[in-house]
Amino acid sequence: MMEREKMIQELAKIVGKEDVLTSEMQIRLYEYDASLIRSKPDCIVLPSSTDEVSKVVKFAHDHKIPIIARGAGTNLSGGSVLTKGGIAMLFTRMNKILEIDTENQRVVVEPGVVTLDLKGVLAKHGYVYQPDPASEKVTTLGGNAGENSGGPHCLKYGVTSNHTLGAEVVLSDGTVVTTGGKSLDNPGFDLTGVLVGSEGTLGIVTKLILRIMPNQEAVKTMMAIFNSIEDGGGTVSAIIADGIIPATLEMMDNLTIKAVEEAYKVGFPLDAAAILIIELDGLKDGMERLSERVAELCRKNNVREIRIAQNQAERDKIWAGRKGAFGAVGRLRPNYLVNDGTVPRTKLPATLKKVFEISKKYNIPIANVFHAGDGNLHPLILFDERDKDELRRVHEAAMEIMKVCVDMGGTISGEHGIGVEKLDAMYFVFTPKDLSAMKKVKEAFDPDGIYNPGKLLPPLTKAA
Amino acid sequence: MSNMEEGISALKGMVGEANVASDPDRLRAYSIDGLSPQAAVFPGSIEEVSKVVAFANERKLSLAPRGSGTKMSWGALPRKVDLVLGMERVNRVTDSDIDNLTLSVECGMPLAEMQKRLAKEGRGYFIPLDPPFGSKATLGGVIATNATGPRRFVYGSARDQLLGLKAVLPNGDIVVAGGKCVKNVSGYDMTKLLIGSGGALGILCEITTRLLPLTEAEATLILPFKELEGAAKFVREIVHSKIFPAAIEVFNGTAMAGVHSEAAAKAPYSVVFACESVVEAVERQIAELGAMGRKGGAVDVTTLKAEGHKAFWAALSDFPLALRQRDPNAVGVKANVVLSKFVEIMAAAEREAKGRGFDIALVAQAGNGIVQGYLPVGSDAAAKAGGIADFFGRIVAEAVKCDGNCIVEAAPRAVKEKVNVWGQPRSDSVVMKRLKEKIDPADIMNTGRIVA
Repeated sequence: MMEREKMIQELAKIVGKEDVLTSEMQIRLYEYDASLIRSKPDCIVLPSSTDEVSKVVKFAHDHKIPIIARGAGTNLSGGSVLTKGGIAMLFTRMNKILEIDTENQRVVVEPGVVTLDLKGVLAKHGYVYQPDPASEKVTTLGGNAGENSGGPHCLKYGVTSNHTLGAEVVLSDGTVVTTGGKSLDNPGFDLTGVLVGSEGTLGIVTKLILRIMPNQEAVKTMMAIFNSIEDGGGTVSAIIADGIIPATLEMMDNLTIKAVEEAYKVGFPLDAAAILIIELDGLKDGMERLSERVAELCRKNNVREIRIAQNQAERDKIWAGRKGAFGAVGRLRPNYLVNDGTVPRTKLPATLKKVFEISKKYNIPIANVFHAGDGNLHPLILFDERDKDELRRVHEAAMEIMKVCVDMGGTISGEHGIGVEKLDAMYFVFTPKDLSAMKKVKEAFDPDGIYNPGKLLPPLTKAA
Repeated sequence: MSNMEEGISALKGMVGEANVASDPDRLRAYSIDGLSPQAAVFPGSIEEVSKVVAFANERKLSLAPRGSGTKMSWGALPRKVDLVLGMERVNRVTDSDIDNLTLSVECGMPLAEMQKRLAKEGRGYFIPLDPPFGSKATLGGVIATNATGPRRFVYGSARDQLLGLKAVLPNGDIVVAGGKCVKNVSGYDMTKLLIGSGGALGILCEITTRLLPLTEAEATLILPFKELEGAAKFVREIVHSKIFPAAIEVFNGTAMAGVHSEAAAKAPYSVVFACESVVEAVERQIAELGAMGRKGGAVDVTTLKAEGHKAFWAALSDFPLALRQRDPNAVGVKANVVLSKFVEIMAAAEREAKGRGFDIALVAQAGNGIVQGYLPVGSDAAAKAGGIADFFGRIVAEAVKCDGNCIVEAAPRAVKEKVNVWGQPRSDSVVMKRLKEKIDPADIMNTGRIVA
């Protein structure tokens, strides 16, 4: 790798001096994401166009400098931390909605657009972009694509990759190509499908083509309160098994409920063991009957109380509680580590039971708030990183939870990605042959390994 | 050739004597674009598939996977076909987790057979895929070609429904991608890479798919229109409404004649909806779509329910099958464009076909921007090849103008010799080529047939 001063000079020639950040303070601002991983970039560049991105990448390629595209830095697995140094590329200058094509139900955006900003603009046209990660207030669409973000409404509508139909991509040698497009089924391999969720290891996206849909006619949001977490989990399994696909099916446990109520005063009962947020959407016809069927399943599973949002304000209040849950829980202890192991929906009650056992075993509080309908857990393991023994137990507990998920027929990450944090857990899921196939994909896209090195793919066999 | 004889006996050792065909007469049925393989091999398990593929890779024998044979006309002319790998015996259900709404099944299973079994499970379930050749196609063929049907409008395609798969890569490795969770970002999404990869990267052996419960109520509405423009205007109104029917199809008269002759007699174009939902919603859809249609110029509204509804969509799905039985040389093209432009493609296809003396059948998935066209060819393929190639070139150009592309899905050899069946080349083909080289360095998988 070339000398840092020289690198900075060369990059300034491409993007301009003011768009290369190098001070110690700036470097420290970009040494972390929402995981526990820390590592400093050598410098930060802010390109303003695809052409600048391409030139910076070409430069990095020629000098074998690692490069990572960063969005808002909300990554939960260390994926956006420059563990091997190099260039952090920010997309704050590439944040335009380029085209709103309601006629064809597509939008074209730059990667720096904030997810909720796009939704706000679309709402004025009566359209919606479905993926809704809890952090959508700050996350960028580029980051969402890199991680294949989910969110509550993914239960019915699918994750980011289901709504990403094409991309303008800068390859690792600086070449710019277009994958997919506004139309479906473009000939050849589904490169867009592989790029989404590749955690910045295959390419840098400079434009995204996304699917938008007309708003649904009617929405019904219900909150079901339970005295036992098993009954909550049992209700989730019962709803899915009954063949009802709600738009969302979210769950919170007592620790989360208390934290949320303390922080936001949304009216959650402090003594509830579990709360389910169930939302139905579609044509208004038949919705009353469907929601009564859901209520019936809740009652069969010993629900304590069901509250139905009577208006948008009440609906917003329920969702504010859910979307603010991570932040609220974050107030309980100095740090949290969140996992996102995922299991088949039928295995939810059994898996939760195991998570509580693990919490006891390691003597660490774990708050649970998760996409229950997807079987996508989010155990928030609470601790203080200054306590080294506790930190060790946290990592052991996290690994054990991931192992439990895999043993239940599930997987180690539903939406937060592998990054650095779950590299070792990849061996729970994949054989050396599976990993070898993925390695070939990496080599085809990025033969020199400059894009986000050391992430997502562990060595084919585990180091002894 | 003695080499091949020895090879055939080795293959028989792997899959059993009875499961290797090497008699030239029998092999003709397995020829691809007129090229007969030296053997057709029918493994009975994924392990056997792995052995056969590893063997082919060592000897650099070109392999062409095959399900029930409905898509063998897909792709460019093969440079070489040594072995056809028949997957019909690899057809077990490996995990039926109905309460989780997922199913794992091996790829030789015919889709129709699986749907029949699922319909009888408990309250009744289905795999949300309704591709062409529905009565015959295997799951492997459907997924490898990413074949989709009308109800894609609400259910999406294989890339939205598949949660995981098991494949044999060219080196014989059995690899697993994804799993049975509805969300999964552990590693690269190899499932998406393999969907639609046309057997160029590996042999699809098992899929894990989402299931849905059969809907409470179903109905079909057929609304004939005198003009294509009128039909398009009406469709536009529905696509952007909140009514969300399960399918929105537009037929020209020739296509409708093959599916529902009564409707075809009423007007030259038809808009057809499938409605599938709870009872109340379907009743409202029938009422509103009908009323809006009449207001929009439909000359009639026919509602089909129960068996009539099922029969209509089954006939549409098997339309290309029936056509090919009558006319083995029939050409199939598929254009993909932004959804508002399906009408431009239909108009261009009718004009360009008519001008060259072809009575083209056209069906558009109007909410998805997919237009399928079927050209009758008959016996004199060589003489007509120039005209067909010309026609295809015009449609590709038109589709590219509409932010899309057009491919040939079936054509006699004489036509394929004159066109790039994959339409307009794309900028991302550089990556596709590198992927192909990395994963299949000896180039044994469907050699020459697939876009990369």
